[in-house]
Amino acid sequence: MSALRSLLVLVALAGPMTASAATHVVTMEGMKFEPATLRVKTGDQVVWRNKDLVPHTATAAGKFDSGQVGAGKSWSWKAAARGQHDYVCTYHPGMKGSVVVE
Amino acid sequence: MRKFTALGVLLAAFAAGPSYAQQGPSDPQIAHIVVTANQVDIDAGKLAEKSASSKEVRDFGKQMVTDHTSVNKSATELVTKLKVKPEANETSASLKKGGDENVAKLKKLKGKEFDKAYVDNEVSYHQAVLDAVDKTLIPSAKNEELKALLVKVRPAFVQHLEHAKMLQGQLAK
Repeated sequence: MSALRSLLVLVALAGPMTASAATHVVTMEGMKFEPATLRVKTGDQVVWRNKDLVPHTATAAGKFDSGQVGAGKSWSWKAAARGQHDYVCTYHPGMKGSVVVE
Repeated sequence: MRKFTALGVLLAAFAAGPSYAQQGPSDPQIAHIVVTANQVDIDAGKLAEKSASSKEVRDFGKQMVTDHTSVNKSATELVTKLKVKPEANETSASLKKGGDENVAKLKKLKGKEFDKAYVDNEVSYHQAVLDAVDKTLIPSAKNEELKALLVKVRPAFVQHLEHAKMLQGQLAK
């Protein structure tokens, strides 16, 4: 009984934590990141989806690097370290974005 | 006078509008122009990847090969799906001729001279392609999917033009 109660307490604790980890989508389209600035919480998942006809990357030096994301492909990253991570497409210098991990 | 000018513009637009679309290239011709335009830039890019003296210019050449190859892949998939048979025409022939002449000229150059000539051509080439996309290809395309492909690819050409202009500025220093 007490074991069951502990389990229930654990489940109750784990529940909201799991539910709070969200997934955010950044589209790569028209040679832009949309949204250009994304605010997330630690533990959230960010997915970059390439809707352009050409390959792109999402690269924040020393923080994350998608490598080549082909046309129609996606790449996901789990936000760990807090802070503002400015990133670029290494192929197209005009494409800039930012993920703020709160 | 002002009234007259406004009317003149209106009449000119009216007259030019429908006839322009009628005289423009057909969808099979547009398909051929698109594929040729990409191929011309892939050929020049391959040469730059090998022969440019600065890393930035070599990287740009590589990027042109990657991007224009991707665009051609999408264009080829679409025309296959639509059962459009690309049809050779004067515009694609002149694009090809210009491209071949450019490559022949670049092959005789070395070092900074090569970089400058390649980048200068990339600036004018992308400007010309964008003009054609905006003034001829998009307005003339009948098939909605073909038109949508042109609209979708346009920002990539704008970005290439800006990138090439940036390199042109750096090389001028």
